[in-house]
This record gives sequence, structure tokens and C-alpha cells, in this order.
Amino acid sequence: MKKFILIATALISFTSIHAQDFKASLEKTFTAFDTSWDLQKKVDQSNKLALIAKKWDKEWSAHYYVAFSNAMLSFLEKDENKRDAYLDEADKEKDEAVHLLGKENDETYVLAAMIANGRLAVKPASRFQKYGKIFDDDLDKAKEMNPNNPRIYLLIGNSKFYKPKMFGGGKKPALPYYEKAAELYAKENVTDITIPHWGKNQNEFHLQECKKEDKE
Amino acid sequence: MENYLHTRNFKTILLLPLFLFGAVASWADSTIKGKVTDEKGKPIRGASVYIENTIDGGTTDSLGVFKFSTSEKGRQTIITTDVGHETAGKPIEINGDIDDIVLKMKSANHSLEQVTITAGSFEASNDKDKTVLKPLDIVTTAGANADVVKAIQTLPGTQQTGTDNGLFVRGGDASEAAIVVDEMIVQNAFISGPPGVTTRSRFGAFQFQGVSFSSGGYSARYGQALSSVLELQSLDLPDKSTVNLGLNMAGVYASGTKLWKNSSIDGGVNYNNLSPFYGLASSNFKFYDVPTGGGANVRYVWKPNKNGILKIAANGTYSISGIALPNPYAYDTVSTDAYLRNMGDTINYKTTDQNFYSNLSYRQMFGTKYSLYTAASFSYNKTNFDLGIIPINRDDNREQFRIEGKDYFNSRLNLLAGIELQHFGVSKSFNDTFNQSFTETQSAAYLELEWSPVKWLAFRPGLRFENSALLNESALAPRFSMAIKTSDYSQVSLAGGIFYQDADYAYLLAGFKPQFQEAIHYIANWQWNKDDRTLRIEGYYKDYAHLILENYLYPQSFDPNLYRIILPGTETVNNSGHGYAEGLELFWRDKKSIKNLDYWISYSYIDTKRLYANYLYEATPTFIADHNLNLVGKYFIDKWQTNISATYTFATGRPYFNPAHIDANNFLSDKTPDFQNLAVTFAYLHTFGKWFTVFYLSVDNITNQHNIFGYRYSYDGLTRYPIVPALYRSVFLGVNMSLTQFKKDEL
Repeated sequence: MKKFILIATALISFTSIHAQDFKASLEKTFTAFDTSWDLQKKVDQSNKLALIAKKWDKEWSAHYYVAFSNAMLSFLEKDENKRDAYLDEADKEKDEAVHLLGKENDETYVLAAMIANGRLAVKPASRFQKYGKIFDDDLDKAKEMNPNNPRIYLLIGNSKFYKPKMFGGGKKPALPYYEKAAELYAKENVTDITIPHWGKNQNEFHLQECKKEDKE
Repeated sequence: MENYLHTRNFKTILLLPLFLFGAVASWADSTIKGKVTDEKGKPIRGASVYIENTIDGGTTDSLGVFKFSTSEKGRQTIITTDVGHETAGKPIEINGDIDDIVLKMKSANHSLEQVTITAGSFEASNDKDKTVLKPLDIVTTAGANADVVKAIQTLPGTQQTGTDNGLFVRGGDASEAAIVVDEMIVQNAFISGPPGVTTRSRFGAFQFQGVSFSSGGYSARYGQALSSVLELQSLDLPDKSTVNLGLNMAGVYASGTKLWKNSSIDGGVNYNNLSPFYGLASSNFKFYDVPTGGGANVRYVWKPNKNGILKIAANGTYSISGIALPNPYAYDTVSTDAYLRNMGDTINYKTTDQNFYSNLSYRQMFGTKYSLYTAASFSYNKTNFDLGIIPINRDDNREQFRIEGKDYFNSRLNLLAGIELQHFGVSKSFNDTFNQSFTETQSAAYLELEWSPVKWLAFRPGLRFENSALLNESALAPRFSMAIKTSDYSQVSLAGGIFYQDADYAYLLAGFKPQFQEAIHYIANWQWNKDDRTLRIEGYYKDYAHLILENYLYPQSFDPNLYRIILPGTETVNNSGHGYAEGLELFWRDKKSIKNLDYWISYSYIDTKRLYANYLYEATPTFIADHNLNLVGKYFIDKWQTNISATYTFATGRPYFNPAHIDANNFLSDKTPDFQNLAVTFAYLHTFGKWFTVFYLSVDNITNQHNIFGYRYSYDGLTRYPIVPALYRSVFLGVNMSLTQFKKDEL
């Protein structure tokens, strides 16, 4: 029995050291990714996230962030082939995250919607039909699971914000979604990096942009 | 001793720096520097470079240079990964800083892609990125007015039509092209109209998720078309619920789609009245009854499971039109039909048309190994023509059934096997006294193997067995196509096969039962595709045999009237007709070079002759222009929210019959002037509240070119008048509004 307790203690302390190490690496790298505005630095941090996911291969959140960062990069990249390649990578890593989690959750659906939006953004004219539907469907599923996930409204806001005016997009229709998201972000008090909680700054930025329009 | 010590100290002193260095190296990080390039030595930006099984790594800059530090020592593997490239790596020995590592990566994009067979076919699909055309491209092609068939006529291999309906492909006439919806042949693809006036096809581009146009060498799945198959695939579950309303110079329409989780119903009604359209244009014909009509359609789609889909569709239309046609017998001095001759310069021609079409299909995938598709359709068409006071009634119906299964042995090999049954009948009566009719049952079975031993090579051999109950004949039609990838962006495809077809309905109606007509296709195609630019060059040779040739029992000259009635009492027919067609076609499309501009150029050259129908000698048919050129451009002006598209078409003159030229050396040797047409469409996009609205204005034949499609001579050959389209310049104006957001408040 003593032996067992000893081993158990050793194991627990080992895993917690492991977890701390993992969480610290992930947090540091993701924060660096999220707060950097320079593309080269973002790519660098994204590559680091991929290495973290290689090392802590069984952590779903590690793969989740690799998928997220690749999806994000697809929006910043200009070359169409490369944008799709980033999204292929994002898809692969998202699937791995879902596989490790054993099921979809609201965050994986939000991520899937973001990837679909990325696909659409590469070639809007020929892809809006297919990926517009996937985007809507995934966000609907996320909403069913957790209607208070602010990222749902952030993504809807973004899709409206960047949609040309003639198709019903623009700042004005996007504003209420950013406002709703801001409300929900204010209530979100997650600090654990392994529970996705990104998007607050992004939302705030767009919210201010939309309000500028209102004054004009 | 001293000496010894000295020696020892000396040794120590000598070794000390080494020890020191080693000690420093063991706890200080090494800096690893180097460069990552592609196979051609071009730097790769943004690649991740790291030591395997560690998180020590860096990213390459725009010069492909990376730099990072690591605490690892000794034998390690350095790895580089990048989206769009294959992972590369090599062993390194770390004993300190390294600054000269060079890593080369292979491009992953293209070398891994599966080659596809493209000879003889143009595919437009919503789902695939690499297709040459998208359904939306069809809608936005100027001059097509969202008519699928009209848009297809801007592709190589097709002839311009101005007075006849249908697709005239690579030397074949309209009867040689089959139009297929969900693998079911459409008997009456065009709205019925008077002779000499083109009408729209019954298909709008938005009903389909895929359009595949084959100008030859098509799959064993289809038969009974010597030239071409235009394959349309209806939408699966729609994207969302919509309400769609439209108003234009040809009528009004309303349609709606209700989408549930796994099923949907859509339906629509339309009323057409071409008065505003013909009112604004100066028509070359007098419509005493402007074309009017209406229709309704309904469709149900159900997905019983993830990999199965059921579709049921029904569609009914009604149309009526009355036109004063030039009387071909008006100037006759030689007596033919006194009644017709005395009728005057024009004959009133009234068309009343009723059409019903229904289709049921079910597709199911079982795991990843098997798929099943089955479909049935029924169609009925009734047309009454009143030529003066002579009523002509034409009825037809068609029932068909298909079942096919596919066995995917693995991702590189699959086998398709299917059976097809078609039963159809046509009857025609003249003046309620004289009747002609026939009933035909065609059955077919087919096998097709798709085999791709390696990614750069694909084969598709097929075999089709066909039987005609009416002609009491069977035939075996082998088909073959293949593709080889010749570089990252280019490929060569070959296609060929034997194709059989019944005689034209006019002969079957007359009671003749000739053998199958036959065509053999040989097609070679080279295609280059990179970054939204496509270049295709295709050459073909087509051998026609056993074509229907008429033998008059009484001496008679050539009658160029396409609508002449075949009478068994005055002639016999046999299968001694023959012919050939050969040609070269070019297609270039560029969506990349200029922002917001998308354009394509298609050019076809054809050399064809045939001896068939009532031809006196082998000659180039009257529907053939040797050179055909299409320039299609679309430009989007963001600031104006306007899409401008233009289509310019040029075709060299086509042969026409001059009754003075009936010898072997000059039969059909006269040619019309060249054909030219410029069409422009403006579409203005705007969202009013939740209604997405498109206003469109299109002008066809903007330069008011007086195109001539041939000449019709009076029976005595003394007078002729040009065969012209119903309209020269025409203007079409309309608006479409759609609503897709129904959720009141998703916040």
C-alpha cells in the first residue's frame, strides 16, 4: 500500500509538473502569437505551437491552438495556394483535437466555422455557397451547445464586417454582433489556457471600427 | 622529476582549454543557422525548422534564413516543415554553433494531385476548385441570359445558332447531342417554338450544382448520341431557405425553398409574356400572337442518412405563340401546292405547347466500398402547330429507368456497372387525317473501370451494350480514355470510342427502320492549368458511318427545308451515308492577370463533310462555320457594385443551298457572309434591408449586325430571301430579389 501511495504521489507530481510545463509553454507561445502584429513573428509562434503539439501530443488544446493559428495565418497570407495550405493544416489539427477530445464541443465548432470562413475568403465568388453554409451550420451547432460563447458572435460579426456592402455586409450590420460578443466577453473569466478563450481584443478592435462609422 | 612534472603540467595546460571549452559547450546553447530553399534553390519563407523530438526551433525569413538556439548535443536530426511543401530533414552533429545548414524541400501541392481525364469534356462544378467553369460563370456570361445551353455555346467545339435550337457539336447536327439531367435524357430540352426562331432551353443555371459538357469520347454510361452529351446534375439539399422574386421583360416569377434539417421542398411559378421584349426590339418576324406561357415546378429532397439522397422533381409548362412566317412557296411559278402558293407572302404559324417532366432519383453510399444510384423519369409533351389552317399535332412521351452500382476496390480502382431502359413514343398527325407514329424501347448495359495505378496516370476503359427493339438491332460500343500528367501543371489526355444512334425521329415517324448510325471518335488533349489560368488544346478526328441517306423514288432536286416531312411513299432510306469531321480547338482562360477581370477565349477550327439525309453529294453541312471564335469577358467594378460582361462571337460564313448549284463540284458551295455578335450585360448588385437584389440590363447584338444564316429560294429558283434570326439588336431588362435571412433575431 505504501508503495502504491508512493508511486501514485510520484505520478501525480510528475503529471502536474508535466502539466505546468505544458501550460506555461502553451500560454507563453499563444500569447506571443495573439499579441503580435508582425506576420513573420506570427508564423514563428505558430510554428512553435506546432512543436508544442508534437511534444505534448495527447493534449487536445495543443492541437486546437495549432489549428487556430493556421486558420488565422490564412487570413493574413496573400498567396491563394498558401492560404489553402494553411487551412488544410488547420483542418487536420482540428480533427486531431476533436479525436483526442472524443467529441465535438462548442469551441471545436467555432473553430470549424472559422476555417470555413477562411476557405470562403480565399475565393469568395466561387466558394460562398458551399462554405457559407458550412460556416452557418457550424455556428448553429456551437450555439446549441453554448449560446453564451462570445466567439460565435465575433465570427458572425467578422463575416458581416468583411462582406461587401452590396451583399448586405458592412459595419452597420456587424455592430450588434460585436456588441453582443463584448457583453459575453465581459462575463467570461477563464484564465486556463487549455480552455480556449481568445478573441476579446479582436472584438474590441472591430467594435471601435464599427462605432467610428456610426459617428460619420 | 621536475622534468616529469613539467611535462605533466604542460600536458594539463595544453588540455585545459579543451576541457574548458567542452565544459562551456556542455551547458551553453548552440546557435543553429542555415537556409531553406525549394528544389530550384528559391528561398522558402515561413518554414518551421527544429530539432526532432524537441521544441527548439525557428522560422525562416523572406530569404529562407533561419536561426535558433538549442541545448541539444551530439547526433540529432534537423527537420523543416512548411504548408505546401513536403517535410524534409537531415542528421546533424551538434558540437557548438552551426551556421551553414542547407535544407531543400519539395513542393507538395501539385506532384501529389491526382490526374483527371479531360479529353473531350468541360466540367463546371460548385464543389471542385479546379474545374474550368462554375455554374455562376454560366449565369454571368453575356448573351446567354442565364440559359445553360446558350452559355455552353461559348466553349470550343460548338457552332453558333441563330435560327435553330440545339447544340451543334463537331460536325454533328442538333439531333446528335443529348441533354441529360441526373443521368436521365431530356426529350424536349427546348421550349417549343416556330421554325426559324430559337427558344430558351428549359434549364437555368441555378438549378444545377454541376454541368459537364462533353464534345466527344464520353463515358459508357451514355449512348444514343453521335456527338455530344451535356450532363446536368441537380442541386442536392439547398444551402438555405430562400424566397426569390423576379420581374423582367419576358415575365414574372416567384420561387421559394424551405430547408429542414435533412430535407427540403422547393417550388416556383412563372408567367411569361414577351410583349415588352418584342415591343422594344424590331422583330424580323411579325408575331401576331406574342409568346406567352406559364409554368410551375416542385421538388422534394430528403437525406435519410449521411450518405444517401433522394430527389423527386416535377415540372409543368404551357406556352403559346403565333408568328407570320415567310411563305416558302409564295413566289413559285412552278406549281407545287396551289393552296400554299396562294396564301400570300407569309403563313400564320401558331404553336401551343404543353410539357410535363418528372424525375425521381436515389443515391446511396454504403461505407466506402459501394455506391448505388437509381433513377426513373417520365415526361410528356404535346405540341399543336397550326400552319395556316392545317393543324399539326405532335405528342411524345418518354419513360426511363437506370440503376447502377460502383464498387470501390480501393482508392485507385473502381468498377461501375449499370443498366438503362428507355421507352418512348412519338406521334404526329397532319390535318387530323394523316398520322405517323413510332414506339421505341432501348435497353443498355454498361461497365466502366477507373484505374489509376499511380497518381500521374489514369485509365478509364468502358464497354456498353445497346439494343433497340424498334430497329431489332444490338451493338457493342467500346469506350476508352486516359490521362498522363506531364508536369506539375500540365497533362495529356486521350479519349475515344464507338457511338451508336437511332435514325432521326423524322425517319422513324415515316415508318423506316434503318440500322444504327455510327460515329468513331479519336481525341487528344493537352491542358495546362496554374493559378487560375488554363490553356487547352484539343484535336480530334471523327469518323461517321451508316448515316441515313434518302433515296427518292421520283427524280427530285435537293430540298433544304429542315422541317420537310418524310413520306414513305416518295422515298426509301438506307444506311449508306457517311462523313468525317476533324478539327483543332483552343481554349484560354485567365482569372488572374488583372484584378476583377475574368475572360476566356475559345477558338475552333473544323473541317467536315458528310453525305447524309437528302444530300446529293458529300458536302459541308449548312450548320457548319469553319472558324468559330468566342471572346468572353467579365469585369467587376467594386465601387459601382456592378458586374459588366461582354461576349463577342465571330464565325465564318456557312454553306447554303443555291438551286443553280447541284453538281458534285458545287453542291452547297455557296457561303453566307461572316457572323458577328457582340452582347453586353450590366448587373448592379445591392442589398435593400434583407433583400439581395440584382438589376440587370443586357443588350444582344449591340452593333445591330444583320447576320444571315442562309438563303431560301423560291421553288423556281428565281427569287431568294435571307434566313435571318427573329431579332437583330435586342434589349433585356430585369430585376431579381432574394431573401435568405428569416431568423428575426439571432442575437
